[in-house]
Amino acid sequence: MKDMPQTVYVVDDDDAVRNSLRMLLKSAGVHAEASASAQEFLSSYEVSQPGCLVLDVRMPGMSGLEMQHELNLRGATIPVIFITGHGDIPMAVEAMQHGAFDFLQKPFRDQELLDRVQRALARDTEYRARLRHTDRIRERLASLSPREREVLDLVTQGKANKMVAGDLGVSQRTVEIHRAHVMQKMEAGSLAELVRMMMAVSP
Amino acid sequence: MNANNNGENKGVRTIIVAGQSSERTHEVLRALRGFTNVIWPTSLESALAQTGSKDAGCLVIADDLREEPIDEFLQEARELQRNLPIFVITDPDDVAEAVSAMRHGATAVIEIPPSYAALCEEVTRAMQ
Repeated sequence: MKDMPQTVYVVDDDDAVRNSLRMLLKSAGVHAEASASAQEFLSSYEVSQPGCLVLDVRMPGMSGLEMQHELNLRGATIPVIFITGHGDIPMAVEAMQHGAFDFLQKPFRDQELLDRVQRALARDTEYRARLRHTDRIRERLASLSPREREVLDLVTQGKANKMVAGDLGVSQRTVEIHRAHVMQKMEAGSLAELVRMMMAVSP
Repeated sequence: MNANNNGENKGVRTIIVAGQSSERTHEVLRALRGFTNVIWPTSLESALAQTGSKDAGCLVIADDLREEPIDEFLQEARELQRNLPIFVITDPDDVAEAVSAMRHGATAVIEIPPSYAALCEEVTRAMQ
């Protein structure tokens, strides 16, 4: 599946700020879309859309912080860079505790914002790649039979085939067959790889 | 480990306060009665050594360490103890520093002068 292009979403009620940010991002070769309110953005954004957000804290109607809460409820992982002209520590701490990527006070230099946007986009790419990787592992796990899953759990605990056979009350040969199926279905080249896969999806 | 009605905490672990801290901060921390084991390492290096201990329950980085490389320290402390609550007390004007501290692993940043209520609440919650 081809990756969707990354977009920097700018949400700010101030027309001048919105337009200048859009121009700045465009000049840096970054695709940007702007919304004048949190509601406008939320009505069209899908969490699968990659990129990052440049979000004003204070806006009439839904504030930037409220919009962040809403995105969290939707399970969005898009990195959020807050911008504000009147930031204080409690506000910044709240934003960061709720997962903001950064919190920038106006006025800021163009380059400062561009650097942060680039870092946020890199983080989003990395996160989505990791998510795809764990999704694939989960799909493979779901394809295992209940018995194969039991064998997988025991071998990744470090148990030898003989011990697994004893635990499950089956012959060693049967364990070997199940184990071969597990390795095949999980597309694992070695036990170490299988262990790494299980660690990647463990909570 | 819940705080009882007297505001005292039983069986709590150590609070590490890095830096000497201002008198006001000191006073506020002393008010956290029941945290019988409060230690005051005078350097970030010795604070880090304490942070690695099993008894470490909470780390407070006081306001006199603003000139020190706090971010690096926070990162190292976080590597030592992934779930340790770490509070940084800082100048209310320095939002950028607060954001940076949060990015590097602080649980929360509290403004100077810290209020009894704010700090007690944060530390008590963290120690539970």
